[in-house]
Amino acid sequence: MPSGERIELNSLLQRVAQEFAPGQVVAVGVGLPTLLAGQIPPGTGVALLSDSGVLGYRRAADPSTSDTGLVDSSETPVLADPGSSVFSLSDHGSMLRGGHVDRAVLQVAEVNAAGDFVHWTSAAHPEILAPATAVDLASGARQVIALAPHTSPDGNPHVVADLSLPPDGRGCVDLIVTDLAVMRVQARGLVLEEIAPGWNVEDVSRLTGALLAPSPHLREIPVDVLPSPPPRPLNKVYSDGLSAVADIPDGATVMIDGFGGPGGMAHYLLVSLREQGAKDLTIISNTAGIARIINFGTPPGRRAIDHSILIDNNQVRKAVASYPVSPSASRPSSFELAYRRGEVELELVPQGTLAERLRAGGAGVAAFYTPTGVGTLIADGKETRTIDGKQYVLEHGLRADFCLIRAHKADTLGNVVYRGTSRNFNPVMAPAATVTVVEVDEIVRPGDLDPEEIVTPGIYINRIVQRPPGFSPYE
Amino acid sequence: MATSKVYSSPEAAVADVFDGAAILVGGFGGCGIPHALIRALLRTGVGNLICIFSASSRLDNPGKPLDVVDLVAAGQVQKVISPLPFHPGAGGAVEERWRAGQLEIEVLPQGVLAERLRAGGAGLGGVFLPTGLGTRFADRKEVRTVGEQECVLESPIRADFALIRADSADILGNATYRGSHRNWGPVMAMSASTTVVEVDTLCEPGEIDPELVITPGIFVNRVVQSDF
Repeated sequence: MPSGERIELNSLLQRVAQEFAPGQVVAVGVGLPTLLAGQIPPGTGVALLSDSGVLGYRRAADPSTSDTGLVDSSETPVLADPGSSVFSLSDHGSMLRGGHVDRAVLQVAEVNAAGDFVHWTSAAHPEILAPATAVDLASGARQVIALAPHTSPDGNPHVVADLSLPPDGRGCVDLIVTDLAVMRVQARGLVLEEIAPGWNVEDVSRLTGALLAPSPHLREIPVDVLPSPPPRPLNKVYSDGLSAVADIPDGATVMIDGFGGPGGMAHYLLVSLREQGAKDLTIISNTAGIARIINFGTPPGRRAIDHSILIDNNQVRKAVASYPVSPSASRPSSFELAYRRGEVELELVPQGTLAERLRAGGAGVAAFYTPTGVGTLIADGKETRTIDGKQYVLEHGLRADFCLIRAHKADTLGNVVYRGTSRNFNPVMAPAATVTVVEVDEIVRPGDLDPEEIVTPGIYINRIVQRPPGFSPYE
Repeated sequence: MATSKVYSSPEAAVADVFDGAAILVGGFGGCGIPHALIRALLRTGVGNLICIFSASSRLDNPGKPLDVVDLVAAGQVQKVISPLPFHPGAGGAVEERWRAGQLEIEVLPQGVLAERLRAGGAGLGGVFLPTGLGTRFADRKEVRTVGEQECVLESPIRADFALIRADSADILGNATYRGSHRNWGPVMAMSASTTVVEVDTLCEPGEIDPELVITPGIFVNRVVQSDF
């Protein structure tokens, strides 16, 4: 008989929390994982994502007296951390599907050696099999941690050889943490990495449905070890524009925000990218640079900074844009001139389709059927389909290596607000790139922005640069 | 001068909800539920409704106010579509009527519901999603490889009515929310033929900063002051 107790719940949750690193976003499913919000000390830089649509929160010391307007999926009132943001459940789904979430923690009823699992809400009513958010969390997060007591109250193992119910995800679970063991899902099966103090491999295996292979580094589950704060506070702020774009390689795809004139364009980052000099770029943007020739209120004798500065510097190979030409035939844009010389390629996309393709790219939607452009050149070479009597064309999500956007304010975690029509493509572009850099008028501390007013949550922003005071959008 | 979308009472705002209508009902975890509009539907007695909603609030929550469960209990609902139609162990009227064969239940993942609603509201004919591959949620649906990713074709969802709750709205329907009360509001508002917003504070155009509007009035057909 084992000489030890099972790990108690708080220690179990703390063991799960040891899997989180500073800067990570952790989605917590309904049930036991919601209790993690009471286990992560402030300042660790781990942001919890609730099924209710809040990122960056913790449990109140006395939830019964809190009226914060925020709840988690267990209907418990929670408090916003500094740098928190709130959003709709559509945005919550997009964050998961779009690959923006590092970890998900799910309470499972059954999990097997292949990482297939059944969520506890599904198992509770097998005739209905209601998954809540389990399928979204398991499909979307980079790493999935399954949490459960090792056995049910009637002694049945939650770690099983074969699932008894249809799965909520196949091959999704990476790590299983129970009150007796920590097991990693590997190609060769389950590896037993940690074991509760006072228990041995035989005791645990007897209570496990699947075969366990003890790790050569098998150790006791460390209990009562709180996650520690990072050595330095998290900070996405770069000292200047050049350092923020220094690693853009030749041949990269770069999204550039902006609509029409000088408003909402990352002028300082554009100048920085010109100075950096990367070649053969594909740029994705609404225009391919028309402010420079249309002026839009440019002071006499000066020229607006836009995409044209990259084209004039021979850095652009291709543009994906909805309005790549000058509205004036007598004043062609830099891009038009380069196109006529055969130096650049063009992929033309209607503005609304561009926005939807960007949104799809950031939200993990691989492709979609849209009615826009049916029967026009835009639909040439693309699949068309009649759905419920209406014709649609298949368009694909767009992603990029880098995205350069402009905003009004950001906190140091990357939560962003815009001003007026400067918002334009920013919110759909920011989630669609591997590295998103934002140029702002003002950098503030986490907590200085109201979570309700944040338009682009920091989950989508990698780097922040302050536009130098007095920087002119004209040269 | 733009026309006010304000209705005189919750009852007036749902008077034309018809027998068999599909309705989206906002709310998550007890937050953002359009209680007064639900009470109005209880009073009209309209039946055979199809309700698309998130988990109902917990039945063990003391003082639980009106939500979809009450419409189900009153026998006004033929079907619910939800990621979690009731909390395990607290099924209440939803579970009882379902077990009695008086209620149909369809479940789907929360994020898939959200994306299908968004597709409905954004005029898309369908979306290819990586969610739920290899599970029952991909059964009998088209699966294809897009780029390097295997995806499931999901169809848009639209409904006849959306009933949502906001914190403030002006008479043109521009709406803001508070905290977790936002939940389904923005995406459901897009996806119904008639969207009714129940608000705590009704105000004049210009009183809400345009930057802070979450649901633009273009998505809202009716606004009514909450009295619940």
